[in-house]
Amino acid sequence: MDADYYDIDDILAEGEKVPCKFNLTVPGLGYLEGNPGKAIQKDSVVELPLWLASVLAICEISEESSQRFIDLLEPPFFNAKVLNALKTSAASVDLHAITSNFYKMTEKWASMFDDEELVEMIKQSFKDRAFEINNYANNTTRHINNDFMSSLDEYEKYLFKVSSDSHKKMKTWIQE
Amino acid sequence: MALPESLTYNLSPPEISFLSENEYITILPRYSMKKIELIGEKIPTLRGMRRERVPLWVALILKSQDKCNIVPPSWLELDFLKMKYEEEMKLPHKFSALPWHWLEISKILLAKAPDDLADPSNKLKSIIQDLREIRLVKSRKGLKELNESNIQLDGLSFMEINELRPYILKVMDKLMNLHDSISRNNVEAETNENEYEDGEASEDE
Repeated sequence: MDADYYDIDDILAEGEKVPCKFNLTVPGLGYLEGNPGKAIQKDSVVELPLWLASVLAICEISEESSQRFIDLLEPPFFNAKVLNALKTSAASVDLHAITSNFYKMTEKWASMFDDEELVEMIKQSFKDRAFEINNYANNTTRHINNDFMSSLDEYEKYLFKVSSDSHKKMKTWIQE
Repeated sequence: MALPESLTYNLSPPEISFLSENEYITILPRYSMKKIELIGEKIPTLRGMRRERVPLWVALILKSQDKCNIVPPSWLELDFLKMKYEEEMKLPHKFSALPWHWLEISKILLAKAPDDLADPSNKLKSIIQDLREIRLVKSRKGLKELNESNIQLDGLSFMEINELRPYILKVMDKLMNLHDSISRNNVEAETNENEYEDGEASEDE
């Protein structure tokens, strides 16, 4: 985690909202669902930023009970529809529209739930997409307005930038 | 650091070209010159029409003053390069062996000493371009096999590796991060267990 302390994308990823279910009624927290001054009811579903949700989902209410404040629900970016789309054709999924820091979210989510299957799957689709990115990086002028370019996650954009820079430098050197 | 990020972990093509000028090359001097002892290397006594091996940068200085002819390296030759090209075509999963600095040295010699080469420089240029492209396509195909822990780059030269380095590093970094996000937990759990066991043991004592 420490390496990511100054990473703006990491901070943005932590601010991403995930759906959570309250396991108990908390007085005074009603403003979270638009009822200022009221209590938040047990079993109500609220979207909280990940940095808050992950702490509440881990902390136990008291020393005796193992119950947590909230339960994390499956966030929309990891639902079956998205995952199936990634499985079938990773390069055609618009990751940027789903969440702009998809891979960071995967890392955080997987480390909370130890979800090996998810990680293996995302790794494969990242490889497929990265391969495609490298193809685009090789000839930037032709594809700059392509749909694929706007569907890239923040890290993929960065990857595209470094690899197209490198190819560009090589081209100018060869033509010197 | 004030250096742009791309230059802190990667060399630029002109830098590599500069480094390649330290390679040795055979020249045919036209004048005599006393030997020079430098810190890194020695330049032997040069006598007219006696072949000597000197660093490329010395050869280029002498060449620019018309004081020597450069003997092109054995691989910078149309027949040899054509053979390599056919080898590349025949073996789609392997890179043929070319010198570590082949792209840089061929470019330098084609620019600075085209009259010393055995074959016409436009033909050499086009075969070098063909070779580079076929190898580029191959290396790009190979990128599908990337994983988080290792990569094999047999037969690729300095310049070719350098071109791919930023991309490969970033992809492998991310795969590593994704991979670590699950294994880190396991490692932590194990260390906690070990600590607990150690604690118990010391209590028993």
